[in-house]
Amino acid sequence: MDFAIDSATQQRIEKLQELGREHMRPLGIEADKLGRPTPPDHPYFEKLVAMGYGRTRYKGRKGQDDTPVKSADKNKAKKRARSRASLLLSEEMSYWDRGVAVSAPGPGLGEGAIMSMGTEDQKERYLSPFIKLDKPRWGAFAMTEPAAGSDVAGIQTRAIKDGDNWVLIGNKSFSGNSSRSDFILVWATVDPSLGRGGHRAFLVERGMPGLQDFHIEKKMGLKAYESTSFRLEECRVPGENLLGGEAYYESRAGFKGAMATFNATRPLIAAMAVGIGRSALDESLAFARENQMLDDSRVRDRLERVTRKLRVARLLCLKAAWLADNQRPNIVEASMSKAVAPTAAFEATSFGMELLGMVGGRGDHLIEKLFRDVKAMDIVEGTGQIQRVVMARQLVGLPHG
Amino acid sequence: MFELDPGEDLTLIVDVVQRFSTDILSQQYRDFEANEAIPEAVLNSYSALGLSAMELPESLGGAGLGSRAKCTILEELGYGDPGATLALDGIGPALYALAELGGDSAVERIILPRLSDPSARIALIWDDGDARKKDSLCRADNRYSGTVPWLPCADADLLVILDKQGASLIESGFTFSPLRGSGLRAAGAAELVLDQAAIIERWDEPAGAARALAKWQLYIAALLVGVSRVAAETSREYAMERVAFGKPIAHHQALAFLITDMHTAVDSSRLLVQDAACRADAGQPFVEAAATAFVEASENALFVTPNALQIFGGQGFMQDLPLEKYMREARTLSLLAGGIDRAKEIAGQALCRIEGTVELSALALSR
Repeated sequence: MDFAIDSATQQRIEKLQELGREHMRPLGIEADKLGRPTPPDHPYFEKLVAMGYGRTRYKGRKGQDDTPVKSADKNKAKKRARSRASLLLSEEMSYWDRGVAVSAPGPGLGEGAIMSMGTEDQKERYLSPFIKLDKPRWGAFAMTEPAAGSDVAGIQTRAIKDGDNWVLIGNKSFSGNSSRSDFILVWATVDPSLGRGGHRAFLVERGMPGLQDFHIEKKMGLKAYESTSFRLEECRVPGENLLGGEAYYESRAGFKGAMATFNATRPLIAAMAVGIGRSALDESLAFARENQMLDDSRVRDRLERVTRKLRVARLLCLKAAWLADNQRPNIVEASMSKAVAPTAAFEATSFGMELLGMVGGRGDHLIEKLFRDVKAMDIVEGTGQIQRVVMARQLVGLPHG
Repeated sequence: MFELDPGEDLTLIVDVVQRFSTDILSQQYRDFEANEAIPEAVLNSYSALGLSAMELPESLGGAGLGSRAKCTILEELGYGDPGATLALDGIGPALYALAELGGDSAVERIILPRLSDPSARIALIWDDGDARKKDSLCRADNRYSGTVPWLPCADADLLVILDKQGASLIESGFTFSPLRGSGLRAAGAAELVLDQAAIIERWDEPAGAARALAKWQLYIAALLVGVSRVAAETSREYAMERVAFGKPIAHHQALAFLITDMHTAVDSSRLLVQDAACRADAGQPFVEAAATAFVEASENALFVTPNALQIFGGQGFMQDLPLEKYMREARTLSLLAGGIDRAKEIAGQALCRIEGTVELSALALSR
C-alpha cells in the first residue's frame, strides 16, 4: 500500500518534461497566436515519431511479432500499472500544452474500440501501420454530430446496407485530427428508432468517395489540434469495414463498444484537466511571488484551495486508473474524476486570471490561454452533468431516459 | 506505483473494527450522548481490540502500523461514533505531541504506563498564541493560565498544550467544569480553567510541533471522513426509498446530482487523508499535506452532513435519527486541532515557499 510512482514512469515523465519545455509549450503558444492547428508536415511530428511516440498498443497478428520479447515479468508489471502510467503521462503532456498533446500522431481515440471490437483483419489493416510508424500518421474517431453531443444514443448518421457495401449519410462534428487521418472510426445507425441497438461503427478511409467537406472549426482555445466537422455524402464503405463484422452486432452490443472506450478515457481526460490546472497554478504562484502578493492571506487561502482541489482531482484520477489496472469496475470513479477535475482546473485558471488583474485582460499571458483552453475539458468525453447522470445510475439507480 | 489496496493485515483489523463500530457504536450513540460517557463494557470491548498501541513502534512494544493504518481505522470508528472514538482512545492524538517532541523517552515514561488503563485520559490542547482573544491562554514563568472554552472530554489526568513552538506538559493546577457541549457529547464536554498551572516538562522544537499538529489534523480528518461516509450512505439509501411526486426522491435530478457530489466528497477526503498519511509513513514531509487533508475533510463534511439531513427533510431535524448528530459532529470535529483557518494558513504558507512546480501528491516523492 503506497502512493509512490515507479521509476520507469518517472523516467518517461522526465523525458516528456524536456519535450514539453522545448517544443510543446512554444508550439501551443504559436498555434494560439496564429489561430490555426500545427500543420501535419511540421517537423515536430517527425521528431515525435523518431522519439517513439504515436505507436499503437496492437502488437501485430499472433506469431508475426518480430520485436524482441521482453522478460515476461517486466511486461506483466508494466501492464499492471498501464492505466496509471498513461494517466500521469497525459497529465504531464497537458501541463505543457493540451492542444499540442492531442495533435500528436497516433491511432487516436478509436484504438480502444478497434482493439476490443475489431476483427483480426481490421486490427492488422488499420493498426499495424502504427506499430513501427514510418512517418507521422493519425487515426480519428467521429461520434458527435450537430444534433447529438452528450446524448450519444441520438446520433442520426445513417448506415444503409447496399449489397456487400454500406452507404453512410450524415454529418459529424468536432472530430479531432480527422482531416489529416488515414482512417476515421465513424459511428452511425442502421435505424435511429433502435437507439443504441442500432449503432454500428465503420472504418472510413481517407479518400473514400463521399467523405468530404472537412471544416476545421475555430475554437476559443486548444487551437494546436484540429477539431473538424465533415460530411458523409452517400459515402460507400465496403462491408469488411464494419467494425467487428456483422456477427458482432447480432449480440446488440453496438453501443457498448463506444461506452467502453469512454470509460477508459474519462480519467485520462480528467488527468489532462489536472495538467492544465497545475500549469495555471505554477504560473500563478510565480506571478504572485514576483509581485509580492504572497503576504496577502486572501491570496494564500485561494492558492491553497486551488492546490487542494487539484490534489483531489489527481487522486480521483489515479483511483479510477488503479481500479482499471486491477480489472475492477470503475464506472463511478471514472465519471467522478471527470466530473471533478475540469472544474478544479477551471478554478485554477480563473483564479490565475484574477491574480493577474488587468494583465489578464491583455490576452497575451499564458494563464489567459490556459483559461480559454481548459473549458473544453468539462465538455469532451461527457460533460460534468453527464458524468453525474452516469454516477447516479450506479449509486441510486437513476432510470435511463 | 500508486496502490490503494490496504493489504491483508490491515483488512483483517478493519473488519473487526467495522463490526465493533456498527454493532456497538452505531447502536448506542444516543445513550452515549445522554450520559456524556461510554459505559465500562464498551470501553472494555474496545480495549480488547488491542488498537491502543497500534501506532507505536515495535521497539516500544507497539505494532508499528503507521499513519495510514491508523487513519483507516479512525474512519471506521468515526463511521460509528466520532465522539465515542475520542473517549475510547483516551490518549489519542496527545501521543503525537509526546512522540514528536518528547521522543521515545517521553512515550516510555508517559504513554506506556497508561496504555493498559482504558480510563486514562490525556487532553491535547492547541494554544494558537493569539493574545487578543478573551479566553486566550497565557504561558509565562513556566506556568499556564487561562481558559479553554471547550474540550471534548469530561476530565483528564494530564494536559499536553501544543503551540507553534513546542509543547508543555501539565499535571495539576487546572479544573474541568462540565458543559452541555454541542457535538461529540459522547466524549463528554468541559471547560478547562488553568490557574498558574505548573509546566512540568517543556519541549521547544517548531518542526516537531508542526508535525504533531499535522498528525492531530490527520486524526480528526479521518474521523470526519467516517462521519461524512455514514451520512452520505444513510441519506443515499433513504433517497432511494422515499417517494415524492411519483418517484423516489433520488431520481429527481437535483437530488441525484447532490448525492453523487456527496459521494465524491467522501472519496476526495479519504484520498487526501491517505495521501498525507502515506507521506508520514514514508518519512517524507507531510505537514502541508495533512493540513490540506484537514481542510478538505472539514469542508466536505460540512457539505455532506447538512445535505444528508436536508434529504431527510423534517425527519432529519428530529433526534429520532442520527442525521442531526452527524451535522453537529462534523461541525465540532473541525473546530479541533487548530481549526480550518489554521490548517489553511499552514498549507498556504507552505505553498509560498515552493519555487517551480507544485507537487500534487505523494506520487512525487521519488522525483
